[in-house]
Amino acid sequence: MIKRNFRELSVAVALGLLLAFLAVAAPAFYQPQPLLSLLAREAPALVVACGMALVIISRQIDISVGSQFAVCGVSSGLLVAAHWPVALVFPLAILMGAALGAVNGLLVAGLRLPSIVVTLATMVTWREGLRWLRQGQFVNLPDGGQWFGMAQTTGQITLVVAAVLLLVLLAWGMKNLAVGRQVYAVGSDAEAARLAGIRPPLVTMGTFVFIGALAGLAAMMNLAQSPQVDPKSGMGLELKVIAAVVVGGVAISGGRGNLWGVFAGFLLLACISPALTHLHIQAYWEKAIQGGIILLAVVADGLRSRRSNRTGGGAP
Amino acid sequence: MNRFVPLLLMAGLLFAAGCSKAPETAAPAGPASTGGSGKKLTLGFMPKSKGNAYFISCKQGADEAAKELGVELLFDGPTDPDPAKQNEIVENWITQGVDAIAVACENKDGISTALRKAKQKGIKIVTFDSDAATDAREFFVNQATPEGIGYALMDEAARLTGEAGDFAIITASLTAANMNEWRKHIDARLAAKYPKMKLVTVRPCDDMKDKAQSEATALLSAYPNLKLIMAICSPAVPGAAEAVKQAGKTGTVKVIGLGLPNENRRYVKEGVTQSVILWKTVDLGYLTIQATYAVAKGELKAGATTFKAGRLGAMEIQGDNILLGKPFVFNKDNIDQFDF
Repeated sequence: MIKRNFRELSVAVALGLLLAFLAVAAPAFYQPQPLLSLLAREAPALVVACGMALVIISRQIDISVGSQFAVCGVSSGLLVAAHWPVALVFPLAILMGAALGAVNGLLVAGLRLPSIVVTLATMVTWREGLRWLRQGQFVNLPDGGQWFGMAQTTGQITLVVAAVLLLVLLAWGMKNLAVGRQVYAVGSDAEAARLAGIRPPLVTMGTFVFIGALAGLAAMMNLAQSPQVDPKSGMGLELKVIAAVVVGGVAISGGRGNLWGVFAGFLLLACISPALTHLHIQAYWEKAIQGGIILLAVVADGLRSRRSNRTGGGAP
Repeated sequence: MNRFVPLLLMAGLLFAAGCSKAPETAAPAGPASTGGSGKKLTLGFMPKSKGNAYFISCKQGADEAAKELGVELLFDGPTDPDPAKQNEIVENWITQGVDAIAVACENKDGISTALRKAKQKGIKIVTFDSDAATDAREFFVNQATPEGIGYALMDEAARLTGEAGDFAIITASLTAANMNEWRKHIDARLAAKYPKMKLVTVRPCDDMKDKAQSEATALLSAYPNLKLIMAICSPAVPGAAEAVKQAGKTGTVKVIGLGLPNENRRYVKEGVTQSVILWKTVDLGYLTIQATYAVAKGELKAGATTFKAGRLGAMEIQGDNILLGKPFVFNKDNIDQFDF
């Protein structure tokens, strides 16, 4: 058990050490209200990270999520500003995200194009389209719609619980549902999966639609937290979630990893910035530390796969 | 893993191709120029990007001046901040034979060659908002000197905190040249005039509102004695304000910054954000066209120290910079007079 999940456990231990250190060195980090705000701020990205985990496990990548997030956020914002009810805009945002994901899916699974190039193209296209449309102008939302009409604390708790619940359900589903196992199978060896009766293009299509839908959901979760939508929102989101997934022990070459590791990896990276603020360390170090963690994770994976290649093991 | 290398290369190529994308339809659909020999002068007015709210409000003032002066104003620019597209438009205007060009330069070196060419053809060049190389234009209409901005921010921070206490800065990035220039003047003013104030930290927000909100949230809990947050990039002002509001520290922690009135209006009215500092963009456009006209007419020449710009009155000229004057402070009392 420990040996099999060593990679995930080591990230969790690193996170635990950081949190313990903060408890001693900067106890103010644990004030309930600011901590809840911090978690709520990170909840949308966690949702996208869950989707990214699935995409990478299936041996693809999607770098257009940040742009999908922005397109869904701005479009939903415009609808909300036009006084459409949130109960209607909410599913629409998810549908729109799924549609954007389907574009990626069709190009990758249908035309067998490499996902990094396809999603690079859609990333640039959606982002530039948005720039052309909004020229950097914020969308101002009507008063009173924040937190979907809930009180602030209730709203924040709802967002955090929703994100974690999604992660738990996915973690369970990936392990226990046939469709979850298919994602692993396709990511490990698409040809073998095909021979076993799985249709890899369908699985690929599904993961892209799914991450798109999650980007739409995340955009709504972000929209709830502020009365304005910045069309630049979501820039760099793809890097943030890919980093979380990789640090969390998902193999970039597909087929290996789980959502619990992603959770730990995500929290570890998300805590760095506020931790440095609380420790009164200059911001110059932030990116360097995050980069170092990613490098460490990649090197660990590299050493691991070399070892398992030699011994012939390596099943997830 | 190896298969990723060629993919990344391809991706890079694609990206590069995207950056130098083929020119879109360039020529403005405006009326044909009079060739510069007619009585009515034709002036080109080019923003960094033509749909940007900031430049649209500059255009308001430019239109106003053009109407007063009876000149024809051509307004064109890239849809995106795109230096190559700016060069193209300058070339078009040279062909059309405009009398003078006023331009906010996206890329100083990129556009200067095109502007020098225009200058050789006898077209007068004035820059505004962001300058070109000094030999490529006659005057630069300078909306605010870094010193003016730095001092205005620091003085406003001091006024709001009673000249004592901790404050923090949120910037776009730690490497942005213009912001570091402002910070230098903020630091200088702080050291010279406000010994009881302390700058506790500077946090980057990648020029994004969402990130600024997160950064400000962390600042508020990490520095319980914080009296004020100074946001020196525009998305950070509403971002910081939302964080202060959510932390229940409205009024206890003041928010000021450089930004646009429309993005900050609700927070200014709620009393979360006390002051938004900028210049009057309408006046910037107005002054630019007044100056461009005067240069084209030969009324404004190098060496002048003042310039009478219509309703704005006499403006100071430092060297070849025409100064718009002190930055303007938008607050609860006046913000409703501005819409940009």
